[in-house]
Amino acid sequence: MQNNKDIIIELNKELSSLTDLTSIDQLEVKYLGRKGLINKLLQKIKDVPVNKKKAYGQKINQLKNEVKRIIKIKKLELTNNKTDEFFDATLPGKPYPRGSLHLITSTVEKISKTFQRIGFIRMSYPEVEWEYFSFDSLNMPPDHPARDDFETLFIDVPPAPKLGKMILSPHTSSGQVREMWRCGRPPIRMVSIAKCYRPNWDTTHTPMFHQFESLCIDKNITITNLKASINYFVKEYFGEDYQARLRPFHFQFTEPSFEVDITCSICKGKGTIGHQKCKVCKSGWLELAGAGMVHHNVLIEGKINPEIYNGWAFAFGLERLIMIKIGLNNMRLLYDGDIRFLEQF
Amino acid sequence: MNIKITYNWLLEYLDTDASPYDIQKYLSLCGPSVEKVDKMGDDYVFNIEITSNRVDAASVFGIAQECQAILPEFGKKAKLKFDPLNDYKFVNIQKKYCNKNSLKVIIKDRDLCSRFTALVFEDLNLKPSPELISKRLTLCGIRSINNVVDISNYLMLSLGQPVHVFDYDQVKKSMMIMRRSKKGEKIITLDEKEITLSGNDIVIEDGEGRLIDLCGIMGGANSAVSNKTKSIILFVQTYNKNLVRKTIMTTGQRTEAATLFEKGLDEERVEPTLVYGGELLEKFAAGKIASQIIDIYPNPYFKRKSISVSYEFFNKIIGITIEPRKIKRIFTSLGFKINNLEDDRTKIVSVSIPSWRQYDIDIKEDLVEEVARIYGYNKLPNQLQPIVYLRQPPEIEKLFKIQSKIKYFLKYIGLNEFINYSMISKEMIEDSGLKTEKHLKLSNSISQEIEYMRMSLLPSLYKNIKDNSVKTRYNTAPGEKGVMRFFEIAKVYFKNSVLKDSPCREVYKLGIAVNTDYFDLKGIVEALYKELNINDGLGQMITNEIKIEEKNGVFLTEIDLQKLIDDYRQIPNYKPITPYAVIKLDKTFELEPKHTFQMIKKLAFQSNLLQKIEVVSIFRNKLSLRFYYSSSQKNITEEEAKRELEKI
Repeated sequence: MQNNKDIIIELNKELSSLTDLTSIDQLEVKYLGRKGLINKLLQKIKDVPVNKKKAYGQKINQLKNEVKRIIKIKKLELTNNKTDEFFDATLPGKPYPRGSLHLITSTVEKISKTFQRIGFIRMSYPEVEWEYFSFDSLNMPPDHPARDDFETLFIDVPPAPKLGKMILSPHTSSGQVREMWRCGRPPIRMVSIAKCYRPNWDTTHTPMFHQFESLCIDKNITITNLKASINYFVKEYFGEDYQARLRPFHFQFTEPSFEVDITCSICKGKGTIGHQKCKVCKSGWLELAGAGMVHHNVLIEGKINPEIYNGWAFAFGLERLIMIKIGLNNMRLLYDGDIRFLEQF
Repeated sequence: MNIKITYNWLLEYLDTDASPYDIQKYLSLCGPSVEKVDKMGDDYVFNIEITSNRVDAASVFGIAQECQAILPEFGKKAKLKFDPLNDYKFVNIQKKYCNKNSLKVIIKDRDLCSRFTALVFEDLNLKPSPELISKRLTLCGIRSINNVVDISNYLMLSLGQPVHVFDYDQVKKSMMIMRRSKKGEKIITLDEKEITLSGNDIVIEDGEGRLIDLCGIMGGANSAVSNKTKSIILFVQTYNKNLVRKTIMTTGQRTEAATLFEKGLDEERVEPTLVYGGELLEKFAAGKIASQIIDIYPNPYFKRKSISVSYEFFNKIIGITIEPRKIKRIFTSLGFKINNLEDDRTKIVSVSIPSWRQYDIDIKEDLVEEVARIYGYNKLPNQLQPIVYLRQPPEIEKLFKIQSKIKYFLKYIGLNEFINYSMISKEMIEDSGLKTEKHLKLSNSISQEIEYMRMSLLPSLYKNIKDNSVKTRYNTAPGEKGVMRFFEIAKVYFKNSVLKDSPCREVYKLGIAVNTDYFDLKGIVEALYKELNINDGLGQMITNEIKIEEKNGVFLTEIDLQKLIDDYRQIPNYKPITPYAVIKLDKTFELEPKHTFQMIKKLAFQSNLLQKIEVVSIFRNKLSLRFYYSSSQKNITEEEAKRELEKI
């Protein structure tokens, strides 16, 4: 019987001259086939003395594995180097799922992180609210237009003593007095991002929307503090080349009150595109948010002494922010539940 | 509200060197926002937003007043050429009164009208307006009709006080009775619309009981000026703003006049409007005054309201020091009176509020706003408040953190997040086998689609799958079913049985819906539990308590988010790596209702040596399982493991 070493040398010699897979297959049959060399060697085991049978078997097995390994390597060499089969590296890879998050989710995350860095904590308050927290505590008298059927959604239950009717909170400011009560004593640095509801439904209004609210109460809080916080947010969220400006405005629960405008993202603040007026903005500015110094009546409702403490509040709609940022012109798409829209984000 | 005025018209009241674009820029920063300037021929049209508290500025004159205060801060000249509030007084026309054609006025309820004035004119010559008036009105978006009607509109735009004109001969028996409307009464207004009133609107009936005016909104068609009109009543009022607003809302008639009235107008501006109107009617329509001035003004504005503030207070709120001299200049230019002007040593400024700001300025912060805005918010520096450390309540921190973790995980394994309305329809509730009466219901919903506060996310998610299956997705061949795996995390709303601080119980839920199969959804939930390190302490899932429902090929599940938050472990339980041999044994079972995987598992885990079970294969009801046995103390033999397996 040939020893293993000789067989391997012979195999390598035969292999070296082969260049195609078909002849390698034939060689494989010669060695490993049913009537191949290795099987023939195995059949001879019956002639081996009993005490050597085990060693013989092991030896043949080693040989078999070695032959398999060598042929496999040779085959791999051929498939990789030779052009029998075309390997197209430009084909797409194996697909993995991607999924999507709602635009509101990613916006909420970004805003909360931005404010977290300047020491604000995110809080959460009821969406189904009492009139007291949404209006009375915010210096909005019972005859205020925002409180009527055309501006606020009401729940069909009898009103509660002192707290008034049950409503869907029309703004996140309902959390202001709740936060003052929770903290007891300033400093307060709160942000709240939540669903709000109003009875409007068109391309720029949905009956449910999201607002962001931030509230800062402490000793010696000034308009310059508010201005800096808004400026910080706008630069963080939109980018360094965006400007914010404050304009006089009117809200019941702040005094003074401001409207916050930012540089229009379409015309880059110029107000014109070519020789055409920008259709999106008002002379280069887009209205973004409302803000102001917390009204002293609100502090009093919050059981905070307005002679010692004061503060600022700042709020905006998330949908508007998103619409500005991605150039979306129909707000309803966010809540219409069309997968063709949602899966893009 | 927005108003339109022109630059040339403004220059009639204001002496300034500011260009229309200067005015746009500076006014927007410090006062009413000038949203647009359009050059039209030799004039410019401003489109200006007026906030609800500043209805006093909603006119050419009102904007001139603002300019006088704002423009000088930017180095521009701005001075009022004349002041209609001082220059147009009843005394100017006193000599022209006469007694014929007198008008009888009865006001039934004092609460309806804070000032009522009227003046009758006769011998009018109705013709087209002079070019100056018709052109300005056209530029401001008002159609020119004839000199008399145009004058009434011109007055409103000039001074911000709406004016109405009646045909005197159509006011029967020369009598006007102002009263509250009754429910169901009808009036045909100038625009030929028949309006049925809901009651409590302010109306006027004439001597024959005909309704001739829906006050604050629009006059009646029956007493309108026509080309036959010879005599008119010039009619200038201030009304109860809440009643006007109610009428706007119930009738849907939001005229320009109504928009002004609902904000509450300055009674002191009624007089100059009437006098100026007389002047224009005389000049452009040859009108002659034919009555006494009727002026019913029960609570005249005699004494100006005063507020005192320390100069220090301005600085404290604004954040920089503003010179007392500057503060005084700002107030004077806005028409406020400084009561202690002479006394320079005092640390306090006392100001009187002008009549047109009486409903707007109440507290010292209101005065701070006036100073800060005229000084210029743009000139203020940015100074961030001190950063303080505050502890976020741990339960809130966890709520947001884990919610976010779940959302990202589900996104990464291929699910799409949806946000649906919190309100759903009756149909969706009933379709899901839930009871509408358990839900909170809106009393003034604008659509049946959003009438009830949802108690489950599943009706919405089911609808999402159904709605989207009829849409063609770009990555799906026609007729092929696109795989849909959707989720939503949101609050659901439960009625409180007893009165509480928060009106209802709001509970966060996670809802998942797929259009694939039961085990796909179960696999998602199991993967999520694994991600959150939730297990029964033996490394086994406890997802069998999760209920999965099937409806028309959609598989749905809803999980209490708080449960996931409570069970979440940031780091899973540590298990020492055993140095001893693990014996793997396979066994095949026949599944039947009394012999489920769950039961086999339960029995198998009665063995202390069992580490885990794997499903090897399922064929029909044949389930092959692989059992991993080992001990943490010693090597066990295959026989020992087999004995454990036999116990099952």
